[in-house]
Amino acid sequence: MVRFILFFLVSNFVFSQSYFVYVASESDDTVSLLKFENNEINEVERITVGTYPTEIEGPHGITVDPNGKFWYLSLAHGNPFGKLVKYSTESNEVVDETTLGLFPASMQVSTTTGFLYCVNFNLHGSMKPSTVSVVDPVTMTEITTITTGSMPHGSRISPDGLFQYSVAMMSGELFEIDALGLEVNRTLDLENKMMKNDGMKSMDGMKSMDEMKSMDEMKSMDGMKHSMVKPTWVIPHPKQNLAYVAGNGSDEVIEVDLDAWKVSDRFKTGKGPYNLEISPDGKLLIGTIKSEGKTAIWNLDDKKLLGEIKNTTSVSHGIAISSDSKYAFISVEGIGGEPGIVDVISLENYQLISSIEVGKQAGGIAFWKQDNL
Amino acid sequence: MRYIITILFFIFSIQINFSQNQTIESNLNGLVLEVGDTFMPESFVKNFDGTTRNCETIIYYNKKGVFNVGGSIVQDPSTGKIVANEPGKHEVVAVCVDSRNNGDRLSQTFIVTVNYTKTKSVKIEVSDEAFAGSYVPLTYKSVTANGNERNDLIANINSSNTDIVSVDSNGLVKALKKGEATLTVEVDGVKATKKIKVKDSPVISLNISVSSNSVRTGDVVTLSSKMLGNKGKEINNLNPTYSFHGVSFDGSSSASGLVKENKFVADVSGLYTVNAHFGNVTSSTKIKVTDRDIKRDIVQLGTGDVFDKHTSDAWFFEGVDGKDYGVSGTFFDGKAYFWDVTDPTNITKVDSIKVDARIVNDVKVSKDSKICVITKEGASNRKNGFVILDISNPSDVKVLSEYTDGLTGGVHNVFIDNNHVYALNAFGNPAKFEVVNIEDPKNPKGVGKFELELGSAIHDIWIEDGIAYTSNWKDGLYIIDVGNGLAGGSPSNPVAVANYKYKTGANHAAFPFKSKSTGKFYVVLGDEIFPEGVDFFAANETTGFLHFVDFTDLKNPKEVARYELPGYGSHNFWIEDDVVYAGMYNGGVRVIDVSGELLGDLYKQGREIAAFKTGSPNGFIPNNTMTWGSQYFKGHIFYSDFNAGIGALKLLDTKPDNSNTMQFTTDKSFDSLFGAKNLLEFFEILASPPID
Repeated sequence: MVRFILFFLVSNFVFSQSYFVYVASESDDTVSLLKFENNEINEVERITVGTYPTEIEGPHGITVDPNGKFWYLSLAHGNPFGKLVKYSTESNEVVDETTLGLFPASMQVSTTTGFLYCVNFNLHGSMKPSTVSVVDPVTMTEITTITTGSMPHGSRISPDGLFQYSVAMMSGELFEIDALGLEVNRTLDLENKMMKNDGMKSMDGMKSMDEMKSMDEMKSMDGMKHSMVKPTWVIPHPKQNLAYVAGNGSDEVIEVDLDAWKVSDRFKTGKGPYNLEISPDGKLLIGTIKSEGKTAIWNLDDKKLLGEIKNTTSVSHGIAISSDSKYAFISVEGIGGEPGIVDVISLENYQLISSIEVGKQAGGIAFWKQDNL
Repeated sequence: MRYIITILFFIFSIQINFSQNQTIESNLNGLVLEVGDTFMPESFVKNFDGTTRNCETIIYYNKKGVFNVGGSIVQDPSTGKIVANEPGKHEVVAVCVDSRNNGDRLSQTFIVTVNYTKTKSVKIEVSDEAFAGSYVPLTYKSVTANGNERNDLIANINSSNTDIVSVDSNGLVKALKKGEATLTVEVDGVKATKKIKVKDSPVISLNISVSSNSVRTGDVVTLSSKMLGNKGKEINNLNPTYSFHGVSFDGSSSASGLVKENKFVADVSGLYTVNAHFGNVTSSTKIKVTDRDIKRDIVQLGTGDVFDKHTSDAWFFEGVDGKDYGVSGTFFDGKAYFWDVTDPTNITKVDSIKVDARIVNDVKVSKDSKICVITKEGASNRKNGFVILDISNPSDVKVLSEYTDGLTGGVHNVFIDNNHVYALNAFGNPAKFEVVNIEDPKNPKGVGKFELELGSAIHDIWIEDGIAYTSNWKDGLYIIDVGNGLAGGSPSNPVAVANYKYKTGANHAAFPFKSKSTGKFYVVLGDEIFPEGVDFFAANETTGFLHFVDFTDLKNPKEVARYELPGYGSHNFWIEDDVVYAGMYNGGVRVIDVSGELLGDLYKQGREIAAFKTGSPNGFIPNNTMTWGSQYFKGHIFYSDFNAGIGALKLLDTKPDNSNTMQFTTDKSFDSLFGAKNLLEFFEILASPPID
């Protein structure tokens, strides 16, 4: 009996963990700090963000500094430019801020350069090339902007910290930026030139592929290419020289061989894959299937779908994965007056295990830390 | 290559980390440049033991960032050289990215001073003739060796003969008596001189006259003067300056007012002396000012309560069926409500519509009352724009179509004019409005747009007589021809006519009106300022005011007056028959008399006719008035309140009963206040030297 009690205490001491994530609510100008422990997620604090008094500023992207001391938030709407705001994880208070471009969105800090790379999504008006802002987060200075494609999204850094990847949603390209040289290194067209008609139409109501005579017809009247793939996210593999792209318009995941710099595989998903993340152990690929309000989990060894979990409400958005690869935290936007939701999904049995309401249109989500209880 | 780099990093990363004891040394340290200079930076890492090494990659940047860097200091990427473009002390950051830093940051900020090139010459502008007793306007600039003009340097200004021309400690120059003197302006060791000839004033006598000696507060008095020279000859080519002083009838209040050019207006009742000056010759006259006395009672007739969410804009109109209706937007869940307001004492909700949006900020109705347009922000698919509704039967509203092209970022305000919707894309760059033809409301078509300069802002739009008035925060007011013909504009080809900016930089709304009483054309510009930010779930502080700009001459707008309510800020407003109906946020609805010529501070002048606080004990934030806007419609004042919904007010003919409040004395009380037996004696008692 004594042995059992000791085992129980020790196992609890060893295995009980608490996990912390930040999630931004785009239509509420709030960020929620959430704590997940004992299979239950709770809101620790709701932080009001934004400085422009009369508008919803739209907190969109969120990331935590590799040192864990700060979190960074992109405010999409400005007058007209958006902002990057730096917060202390200790106090959740503003430390500093800087102006970025139009609709700054997703971002990440390179462990090698220490710089933060944030895409300026610019969803306003006609399509034209936008930029990636490079920020020194110590001085909170936007030190340069690098022009990429139309509606860049999904800024993620290679494991060695030397390259930044983003996709251009409207022009359908993958961009690799030299994180040291601060310039575009390579560009890859993600369109599937072998693709035949499968009834697919873009969200803009464009003609399906068989209605087009050539790829040139994918250019709209404004002369800009409107991608059929409509990539919304890219995530480099933590251990292999591969990257995975969410084809939001083509309902597929695209695997890119970073050595050969070409598409090495494509596999179908549900309707509207949006964000992708890979578990830190490199085994699982997790994707939000935005249009269906689901989260999908694939085994990266064989690309087999391990589970497809219905999220608590509609419009599944972002993904954060615990550093021990056990849990995925999914932000779900909701529609209209519905609150945002964060769902916790077990990456061991692929089941929804807890949910919490946060502010409206929950989007950007970032894993902060894992503590022993 | 990627593997090699990774391996190299791995190898280096196991080295001992000395970076905490390392510094960056650079020839940027203490660097002083002149504007236009270039400089090649050379930097290296100094280890704790004094040894040095080069950095694998070193990046230089201006701490002010890319959006401010244009004119100050930059690194030319093609040469690596620092280029000094603007004077000042610039912070140049050098960041060393090197695997030997072992993940630690190694950076250093260097102050680089960029100086102007030295002054080569000084330009001065001053009249070479002046009359004794007059101040002499003087301006100066220094011109640097590379041609830059500077007006930021303080000059030493001296007169060669201070009995003729004096220079005071503020650098103001005054002509004292007949003679000649030379002014010397010295900047940066470089001098410029100008000889001034002082002549005797030609004005021997001066006689001021006023358009009225007895007026109310806020009434503008025109001042004129007759100046006579030698042999009584009238002088017409010179102008005097005017000033005033006064004594309030209320002993605890100060007389106050304003003289601007040849106009005088008083804020409080009292006896005022206005003066005309030319050189050392002065003339004065008295003006009696009584209270404006225009207060009227106001009562609330009814309300349309919305307590579970915020209410935004509202619009009131006569429906196709002849009954009266209102439509209001909301925050949080994309709803708009339709109200029957035919009987303002019994406002009834008759329908609602829900769209995919978080905020329906603005609502507008077409003149024929068949079409309503509501705006969208915060749509779940991030395709915002606006929605066109069929409101032929406001009790059964139907969605006709939705328009999002170029407006996906969100539409904050719209206006309907002549079968076109003007919709603001407030968050785009450039900021712009899109013009959409709705002749076929089921198939709206974009026909034009108006874009402001990059980096500009746009917030609201109002259209009258084919002229669009856009409110643009720091960029002020734009007046745009969209069909008036004034500048050849049309809905598909909007043409800017005028732009007016002002200091508060918070232009949120604009309303044009032609004064019925004077024929002058004004545009009233409203601020919106939340000094402490906005909390949607608590009471908020507001400030800002209404700016009255005389646009009678479109090319020469003049801001002449303001309505500033102490402690409360302005929002949306309506003007009809020389009366402003203002939604002053936590100040409630304010009814303001803007008849006659306008000058100065309208609130202080007692031009407020009535005030009503629109909050509700059951409001979204209880007892918190937050009047969004108001509209004068069929003899009633309709309003929307952020926390309470909509309501109707009525201005009565009766005056407020102030019998229990302290009364100010008026002209009837002269004797008791000042002991004078008649008005003439009263004037003598108050007579005092004119203000120079």
